[in-house]
Amino acid sequence: MSIAAPTSEHGFEAYLAHKRSRRINNWLIVAGGALLLAWCFWDTIMFDTDWQRMGGALGIGGTLARFFQVDWSLAPKLVVPALETLMMATLGTLLGCFLSLPVAWFGAANVTPSKFFFYPLGRFLMVLSRSIHEIIWALLFVGAVGLGALPGILAVAMRSVGFISKITAEAIENIDPKPVEAIRAVGGNQFQVMYYGIVPQILPVIIGTIIFEWDINIRRSAIMGLVGAGGLGLLFFRQMAMFNYGGVTLVVLAVFLLIAIGEVVSHFARKAVI
Amino acid sequence: MAILEVRNLKVSYTASGPQILKGLDFDVDGDDFCAVIGPSGAGKSTLIRCINRLVEPSEGDITLFGQSVRALGAGDLRRLRRRIGMIFQEFNLVNRMSVMDNVLSGRLGYTGPVRSFFKAFPREDIDRALHLLERVGLSDHVDKRADALSGGQRQRVGIARALMQKPEILLLDEPTSALDPKISRDVMGLIRELAAEFKVPVLCNIHDVQLALETCNRIIGMQDGYKKFDGPAQGMRKQDLDEIYAMEVL
Repeated sequence: MSIAAPTSEHGFEAYLAHKRSRRINNWLIVAGGALLLAWCFWDTIMFDTDWQRMGGALGIGGTLARFFQVDWSLAPKLVVPALETLMMATLGTLLGCFLSLPVAWFGAANVTPSKFFFYPLGRFLMVLSRSIHEIIWALLFVGAVGLGALPGILAVAMRSVGFISKITAEAIENIDPKPVEAIRAVGGNQFQVMYYGIVPQILPVIIGTIIFEWDINIRRSAIMGLVGAGGLGLLFFRQMAMFNYGGVTLVVLAVFLLIAIGEVVSHFARKAVI
Repeated sequence: MAILEVRNLKVSYTASGPQILKGLDFDVDGDDFCAVIGPSGAGKSTLIRCINRLVEPSEGDITLFGQSVRALGAGDLRRLRRRIGMIFQEFNLVNRMSVMDNVLSGRLGYTGPVRSFFKAFPREDIDRALHLLERVGLSDHVDKRADALSGGQRQRVGIARALMQKPEILLLDEPTSALDPKISRDVMGLIRELAAEFKVPVLCNIHDVQLALETCNRIIGMQDGYKKFDGPAQGMRKQDLDEIYAMEVL
């Protein structure tokens, strides 16, 4: 059986027509995107900005320049809030770890107590924790327990649960089942199966994740004060309210220093574990 | 007297799925070193795992040490499993734990929650573990991590772990399949020697027919979920083997 060769003329025409229609399609998509972008630009920048109050180039430059006159006299007052920020991050991470234990257990398909109730519950809690911003969590807890570091710690902990428990649950789902089988075969109970069969396999992943999360939580703790939950953010907020732009810059520098320290510590800690 | 009695054992993994074991009957006596041979897919691993219920049988009866295995609740099943030593094809060690902790984990069935948590095993368990590690020739590797050992050495850790339980029967699931021929013979020889020393009956899946005939005193031949042969190793003829492995030729 021979296959009829398509006339080259016909094949070429069809190819060209197809290419042309594709090109028109692409242009339509680009034009649509450009229109959308123009509308966004118009609505947010042209329409929403208070052009009258902006002042000239000198006015803008002058304000920015005031940020660069760092107010070093504030430095001694930064030490305690900086430490508080660090402690909030650390305690929040620790509390988050403990809260993550049951969530990871529920949300790992191979160890969950019930596929129909606890598994969806665990997955829901993971999403809930991550979908609410840390500032929103902080506002919630400031409302509940008042001002200070405690609501900040609670907010950081709640926000940490999602990431830690999700990574842990995934590590549990990816374990090698063979050691688990062996511990069951010697007559180990549920706890022993987890502690001897599963934990050693997931430990490096978990510790790496916790260090990573602690690193992120330093950043989160630094802004908790914006809503009254202690730490450097509170100072930032006060300097801003007093229009002390030099002080604001110093607080930002302090946050930067803190995060840099966190970065270095977590780098070496992770290396030590893995 | 039979230590293990299996009657009309049937297994399918899912209700609608294919039947893996299609009605098996056999006994294991107190002094048996019994090999289960047969082509891949005959159901050998499933059979071994039914006896300590790592796999749930669908039909039939298993009686071990006079207890009906299928009737046991979770707690009684754990107490029964303590008395059954198991050695695995891929060793099933916890790679990130030390050799010593892997061997000691054989005692977990007898260890309380606090001791388990701190990995603080009683003195006599530690002495026994050290003694067994010496017996299997691993005295120099006690504190090494399990994944630092070679295949043959890992299986020796597996043997020590099983013997740690003071087992009254040993279940072996292809203990030599992951090893080279020379090490396979060493490992089987060691298991036979230790089984005789501790007077433990053995039920052993094995792929290597020659090794089975050399090591075991009794052979059960399986094919496609049925028992095709059951008798002393010496009585095994060429045509029996041909019949067991007939499926593979086709």
